[in-house]
Amino acid sequence: MSAITFENVSHTPRAGVKGPGAAAWLAALDLPVPRAPNSWLPLPGGLIARLGLTEFLVEGSEAAKLAAPLAPGVYPVLRQDTALVLHGARLNELLLETCSVDFRALDLSTRPVVLTSMVGVGATVIPGEEGGMPCCHIWCDSTYGEWFFETLTDVAGELTQSSQPRHQGATS
Amino acid sequence: MRLPPQSCEWVDRSQPLGFRFEGRDYSGFAGDTVASALVASGASVLGRSFKYHRPRGLLSAANHDVNALMQWGGTPNVRADATPLIAGMDLKAVNTFGTLARDPGSALGWFSRLLPVGFYYKAFHNKRLFPLWERMFRAMTGLGRVDFATKRLHTPKRYGFCDVLVVGGGTSGLSAALAAAEQGAQVALVDENARLGGSTHGASELVDKVIAHPRIRVFTDAYAAGYYADHWVPLVERGRITKMRAHAVVVAAGAFEQPAVFRCNDLPGIMLASAAQRLIRRYAVRPAQRVVVLAANADAYRALQDFADAGIAVTAVIDLRDKVPGEQAARVAAQGIPLYSGHCIVEALPAADDKRVAKVRVAALGEAAVVAELACDGVFMSVGWAPAAALLYQAGTKMRYDDGVHQFVPGQLPDGVFACGRVNGIHTPESRLLDGERAGSAAAAYCGFGEVRDIAVKAEMESPTHPWPIVSHAKGKNFIDFDEDLQLADLENAIQEGFDNIELMKRFSTVGMGPSQGKHSNMNALRVLARATGSTPGAVGTTTARPFFHPVPMSHLAGRGFTPERRTPMHHRHAAAGAVWMPAGVWQRPEYYAVAGQSRAACIEGEALAVRNGVGLIDVGTLGKLEIRGPQAAEFLERVYISKYAGLKVGMTRYAVMCDESGVVLDDGVVARLADEHFYFTTTTSGAAAIYRELSRWNTLWKLDCGIVNLTGAMAAMNLAGPRAKAVLEGLTNVDLSLPFLAVREGMVCGVPARLMRVGFVGEWGVEIHVPAEHGAAVWDALMEAGKAHGIRPFGVEAQRLLRLEKGHIIIGQDTDGLTTPGEAGLDWAVKLDKAFFVGQRSLMAIAGKPRRQQLVGFMLPAGHQGDAPKECHLVIEGGEIAGRVTSVAWSPSLARHIGLAYVRPGMDAVDSSFTIRLSDKSLVTAGVVKTPFYDPDNLRQKETT
Amino acid sequence: MTCPVNGPRAISEFAYGGEIRPMPDPTTCSDDAWADYIFNRNGSPGVKREWWCHTPSNTWFVAERDTARDVVLRTYLYAEES
Repeated sequence: MSAITFENVSHTPRAGVKGPGAAAWLAALDLPVPRAPNSWLPLPGGLIARLGLTEFLVEGSEAAKLAAPLAPGVYPVLRQDTALVLHGARLNELLLETCSVDFRALDLSTRPVVLTSMVGVGATVIPGEEGGMPCCHIWCDSTYGEWFFETLTDVAGELTQSSQPRHQGATS
Repeated sequence: MRLPPQSCEWVDRSQPLGFRFEGRDYSGFAGDTVASALVASGASVLGRSFKYHRPRGLLSAANHDVNALMQWGGTPNVRADATPLIAGMDLKAVNTFGTLARDPGSALGWFSRLLPVGFYYKAFHNKRLFPLWERMFRAMTGLGRVDFATKRLHTPKRYGFCDVLVVGGGTSGLSAALAAAEQGAQVALVDENARLGGSTHGASELVDKVIAHPRIRVFTDAYAAGYYADHWVPLVERGRITKMRAHAVVVAAGAFEQPAVFRCNDLPGIMLASAAQRLIRRYAVRPAQRVVVLAANADAYRALQDFADAGIAVTAVIDLRDKVPGEQAARVAAQGIPLYSGHCIVEALPAADDKRVAKVRVAALGEAAVVAELACDGVFMSVGWAPAAALLYQAGTKMRYDDGVHQFVPGQLPDGVFACGRVNGIHTPESRLLDGERAGSAAAAYCGFGEVRDIAVKAEMESPTHPWPIVSHAKGKNFIDFDEDLQLADLENAIQEGFDNIELMKRFSTVGMGPSQGKHSNMNALRVLARATGSTPGAVGTTTARPFFHPVPMSHLAGRGFTPERRTPMHHRHAAAGAVWMPAGVWQRPEYYAVAGQSRAACIEGEALAVRNGVGLIDVGTLGKLEIRGPQAAEFLERVYISKYAGLKVGMTRYAVMCDESGVVLDDGVVARLADEHFYFTTTTSGAAAIYRELSRWNTLWKLDCGIVNLTGAMAAMNLAGPRAKAVLEGLTNVDLSLPFLAVREGMVCGVPARLMRVGFVGEWGVEIHVPAEHGAAVWDALMEAGKAHGIRPFGVEAQRLLRLEKGHIIIGQDTDGLTTPGEAGLDWAVKLDKAFFVGQRSLMAIAGKPRRQQLVGFMLPAGHQGDAPKECHLVIEGGEIAGRVTSVAWSPSLARHIGLAYVRPGMDAVDSSFTIRLSDKSLVTAGVVKTPFYDPDNLRQKETT
Repeated sequence: MTCPVNGPRAISEFAYGGEIRPMPDPTTCSDDAWADYIFNRNGSPGVKREWWCHTPSNTWFVAERDTARDVVLRTYLYAEES
């Protein structure tokens, strides 16, 4: 049994918007707007994440609402992400090998969103917990997606294979 | 010899392990190091020295016994004194010509007078002969052998986090870790030994408390390899690196016991007292039967008990100090051991087989007369300590020399860095405990956990270190640096020759530059320098101890590298079509598509001709693709590009060149106006990320009312080009394809929303089709399918380079460099100096008034040119001088000529004039200056709209 | 390095954008003054205001850094400059 499961959720509808008018525009569309930068709120069948100060990502069926006419200071962001959901007992180890952010120090009750670099690729990460085990939702540029996925699964496979560090001399 | 079971020994006698060394079978136990198992089996010689090939044994048993380096299969430089024994190891000593036992290289010792200090610098400065010497010396002196067949290892690296990192698990480190954890901090404790406890060898109640503490994570058999900014410390384990980010660091790294310097102090059997204690307590190994103890501090007398317990007879204690404190002298007297205070060993003599010390000669300090000759098979030295302060130095600690303890101690520590124990000049065991608690508490408080405990630590009553444990001898061989075989006289000679500064002396003599990095030699070396120059150790100072603390295997450093690779949405279509890949920045792009039975050149030519005569399709999704919206979007583009965009009509595109503030060409692309306040524009593939970042910075600075969105990865893009292109696209889109050259339209292609730009980069009727990435592959497929009837071919980067060269279009970064201005690259027509402002404008105005440095021109070789053609970067030669260089060159199948672009001096650019190009073989070819475009000079083909 | 929006992060997540220097008015300044702005940098150690970008989020901000000690004194968004 694999210690970390990967689910590719790239096909989920999603849409993005940014600009100084974005928050007000989303509110006018009856969407809940996360107040704090880099936080998220649940939506029916999805979520809305505030990326930095003035950019938003809406995932799930509510994303369709973003097709509404734009307003001044609102710039649509075409989202073509590779989106993954990772889940498993050894997920924290995977994160420690692939990202310099200390996810365990985050307070999950504040619903943090982390814009960071994983395996050298810019990524948006929402850490969480499911069934008593850590999970996380990761988005990255889809042109990096294949390599990103291959690299993460490779590292995960290595974690599953051996829990003991190898000895340096065992090479010949 | 193996002792009966000791309390708290580290070896597991239920697990015997067999191994080989120098072709002989040995056995040890799990928990042994290679060296402890060998010494237990009676081996005294573990290796030979670097320069004179002298037999050497165990010195420190603390990971700086660099004369006991071994080769294990493909792994070179295994440190026998610190490497755990593994069953089946097959080891060889490193510095031997023949075998360890019989090494003809040891004859070098006889010639040591001919190998003076600075020998290399003096003897081998002849340039012509240097390669010869270099090969000879590499063969003679190399440490170990690299096995090129070794498999690539992906040693994991990971990040780690803690509040307080404690480096060193001895008494003070344990105490610090416990104090910090008790105050609430998350603590990581790292120690390079297999077990915690330091000089207590694990027999400490503290160890159990620390291991049981829920807030302390313990890393044993791991070392802190260096200190980097913001308390970032790599912890090197045998199969992993943890990059530990701490909020505070406590350095409790202890001290290195230092050897005394006397003639033949390197004979096997002569070792540091702490090394003997390690062998006895940890590995239950008796390193000698009858020993002389050379002492100068309380540690030596405390160790006597360990020696007695192990059944080692102490023949005499020789103490460098004139006055031995009463309690210490009494201890010796009680055991009936003769004590020579104020004396020193002046010379050790080997047994007949040279493999072990057999006796020592003793004299009063400063006197030549030998007062005693004592038979022994071992000498244990405890004359002083040098702080293991490498991490403190790297953190920026100002160290000062403390005359009370005769060692460097932290003077001023940086914020968040703490020190305790021996490295802090605190040596008495009870004081180390207190000092650790003090530092641990302070570190936790620094991180916001608890209050600083008010603890006063007593200064040492007596110095644990002798200020001058060095005896000169007329015949030398009194070694200061065991790595580099440096004797006292070598350093004295270096100083006499004028290398009388610690940095100069180090480099000239190489003291401290061997694998142990001066751990046992730097302190004595700087004492020698201080005395010779009438200075003090404090004034002489130390050299910087750079990372790493111990050598880190290359496989660890290489580790698992993350080199991201970007693939366009059509990547697998290219692979299926036989793409031969080339990296383009982070991207993988098809260089060309291989056709069975055809050469690379033929494939590229075939692709190019397909575009010229039929239709071709290229993936251009690697271009940077940006969108800008807002009332001041046009104003923004006016400021960042050298041409004008405010007047660009909706539905039209315009070539765009960006300069930096000095007027140098940075990037180019196409700007398309989709609406009054909405532009879509491209950047070069290689510039995409940097240009988006730089534009974002300008927008932050200017605060214009517009927003930039990066669509590079979100949009797929392909260029359909050739006389048949329109026919291919016609049935697939609702856009009217009679659109004029340089027009842009939004519409549907293959049922998905698309942006179509009429472009002419390759010089045929062409259209760039941009669609959301998720549809890229489907649109590609549809175009290829529809193109079948027209002979469509996918074409790669090489064919595109050729096609654009035929049109005289430049590639930024290939036909420009970091100094090229638009005018030099033939882009004068694009520069609109009459605009209000753009980045680079003021510089271009200044440059406009000055003579031009160079000019890019098109050139052609004569028809029927035989022999080699120029290559990119070949030089243009005029009157024997360099007058320019070739930036692009190719064989044009359409023109049946070699064509290219080159920079030449102003005045050499007249059409129909000629210049010479020097090839790699130094032959010259003549090229004629030609007006570009080479192909279809009136651009009729790309503009054609019917 | 602490990004004002994303918080403290490893330095590998940041790109340096140079010292923030006022641009002389290009319409009035001399060639020499302009060349000084373009080509010369103040390398003397001290507290500098610098452009830094948190690259995963493309956030540009200002860092006040003591280049003598390589210590970042504070960071803030350009728009929030006091």
